[in-house]
Amino acid sequence: MTTVDSELEPVPSAVSGERLTAPRPKPAGRPRRRQGGFTPYALLTPALIVLALIVGWPLIQLIITSFQKFGRAQVFGAPPEWVWLENYAKVLTDPVFYGVLSRTLVFAAACVVLTMLVGTLIALMMTRLPKTFRTLLSVGMLLAWAMPALTATVVWGWMFDTAYGVINHVLVNTFGLEEYFQHSWLIDPLSFFFVAGIIIVWGAVPFTAFTLYAGLTQVPDEVLEAAQLDGAGGFQRFRLIIFPYLKPVFLIVTILQVIWDLRVFTQIFALQDIGGIRALTSTLGVYIYQTSIAGGEFGQGGAIAVVTAILLMSISIYYVRQVTKEEEL
Amino acid sequence: MRKLGIVALGAAAALTLAGCASGGTGGEEGAEIRVWLVGTDTPDEAREYLVDTFEEEHPGSTLVIEEQSWEGLVDRLTTSLSGSDSPDVVEVGNTQASAFTSAGAFLDITEYYDELGGDDLLPGFVEAGSYDDKFYAAPLYSGSRLVFYKKDALAAAGLSVPTTLDDYVANGKALAAANPGKSGIWWPGQDWYNALPFIWENGGEVAVPDGEEWDAQLSSAESVAGLTQVQDVMTNASAAPKDANETGPEVGFCDGTTLQLSAPSWVKWSILAPADAEAPGCPDQEANLGVYALPGKDGGAAQVFAGGSNIGVSAKSAHPDLAVDALKIILSDEFQTIYGKGGLVPAKLSLADTLGTDEVAQAIAAAAGNAKLTPASPKWADVEAAGILQDLFVKIAQGGDVQSLAEAADEEIEAILNS
Repeated sequence: MTTVDSELEPVPSAVSGERLTAPRPKPAGRPRRRQGGFTPYALLTPALIVLALIVGWPLIQLIITSFQKFGRAQVFGAPPEWVWLENYAKVLTDPVFYGVLSRTLVFAAACVVLTMLVGTLIALMMTRLPKTFRTLLSVGMLLAWAMPALTATVVWGWMFDTAYGVINHVLVNTFGLEEYFQHSWLIDPLSFFFVAGIIIVWGAVPFTAFTLYAGLTQVPDEVLEAAQLDGAGGFQRFRLIIFPYLKPVFLIVTILQVIWDLRVFTQIFALQDIGGIRALTSTLGVYIYQTSIAGGEFGQGGAIAVVTAILLMSISIYYVRQVTKEEEL
Repeated sequence: MRKLGIVALGAAAALTLAGCASGGTGGEEGAEIRVWLVGTDTPDEAREYLVDTFEEEHPGSTLVIEEQSWEGLVDRLTTSLSGSDSPDVVEVGNTQASAFTSAGAFLDITEYYDELGGDDLLPGFVEAGSYDDKFYAAPLYSGSRLVFYKKDALAAAGLSVPTTLDDYVANGKALAAANPGKSGIWWPGQDWYNALPFIWENGGEVAVPDGEEWDAQLSSAESVAGLTQVQDVMTNASAAPKDANETGPEVGFCDGTTLQLSAPSWVKWSILAPADAEAPGCPDQEANLGVYALPGKDGGAAQVFAGGSNIGVSAKSAHPDLAVDALKIILSDEFQTIYGKGGLVPAKLSLADTLGTDEVAQAIAAAAGNAKLTPASPKWADVEAAGILQDLFVKIAQGGDVQSLAEAADEEIEAILNS
């Protein structure tokens, strides 16, 4: 911004006749709030109203419900009884909840790491592929991404089917691994999460890969070329040049993956119907559903949901702060 | 049969959309009644009869049948019956009914009790559909569980139809031993309905009332004896996946890997479905398909689970009068006779003879005469929805320690029933 300020000495400009002064240095301490900042708020209002209606209202309802004894009779109109913190006490002293919580955290962490790793590798590969193959890969990934999670889970479930699945068939008939005859992939919790992980990562990789690929096209070629001439290997170039350039993109994609994977529902829920033991494979999202909607304990389910929301928020806030710090630099 | 069902569903969906387009006219004129039927049990003939009769009696109004799946039904009914877009008439499993009658989800239809059939209605189901001396959900039909078997396989192994429960288990194991890799009794791990007769015949119970509370009984000596027998069948006679659910019993029967299986009576029609149907069956097996009622411990028919459905009008129905009219058609002799001919026990005692006199009918009559229900608690539906019994039997199928598994399950069941 070029403002004329009488206190500062004007300097000659390249444009003939024009004289410029440097902008007045910002006063130390907190940046001054801009005057007349009404317009931004006015512009934000419609979005805020919509958000308040579709996010805020249910959230308030959820919090209210979590303080009540709210069963199926209350759903159909009976007045609920206020029990305040009883639901929370019940949830936080329930060992089942901690089992579900730790299972969810470990599983989500594994999925996020795997998704980011595979997504990055595919994005890097896309920069090197000839155009035809890149298009082919993009279309393939787009289809995987466009596939509804439920459909994908059912199809993957068929492939891993105990009696008629193609995976067991190939393992037995092509590779001669007889122990996979009628092998149940879902009955052992670890194996269940292996299958669930494949489905989730398979569904999440396209988004990661596309976003990172878009970021990669913005890394200036000359910097990479210079580094190459200086003798930097492929991994060094990624670590020292590409990663710092794409750090904000990596952060945002990671936050989204963390949030999505922590509240995963469809894949686990549908897979539990196909096989496996529910009590050993429920994650937070499924556990909330089982408690409130299937079990008719909406109050207790609400308490679990609030705890989950607080957890998700505290994780996200940490990452969002990282991103904003990144932008300030 | 299933293919037609899907076509009907598509037509229903189209009608729903059409209904939306013409909605807003208000009044009883052009009203649309939505009927939720669950699963493929209700024959297409009955569906057509219901739609045609209703639309004939109420010119201008339409009746749409929306087919729901059994899986997750309690959850779906909870959300849909409480919403502003509630279906008008809904089918619900008899063991699930009290969860909704006690919550006030259904319209009180006590005043129509006599008109709907009165004391001719199946008494156990009337009880399941009543709460606080009020009648909320009428019986729809009762299904009983039968054992289907391949006549040639039984003959080849030199076996005959078992007369006691122990014979049944021994037969299953002998069949499995004589046909490696095949199921002498096909029993996927999540199928807990078939385990109930083993518990009951050995003198055990799932849960019994104890004052205000419920006392779960799966770990009693009698129940454990039954559960041990179940484990014997699951591990030594069944080649079914240890953690699969009981859908698609006809698949194994038709490809020859299942030699015997216990299933609801209408599974006969799944097995005999045309080979090119959406869910193909094997009609060429008709002559080879034998059927008998599960034998009891001391002979006779075993106490089997009296599966079946109730049907009620949603308390939030926009057209309760029309919905009750639809209910009257469903409980009419004409409609119920179609169930009888299809191998399901009609909702009225006087129509029992519509089942016919063949082998299946006799087996159904024998089984229905000795049928029993799950604990009569409004919270029982929550036990089912939580999948406690599914988990229990998957673990039993894996060869776990029956006593400790049963004790753990008892604790979980009591926690829900007494909460």
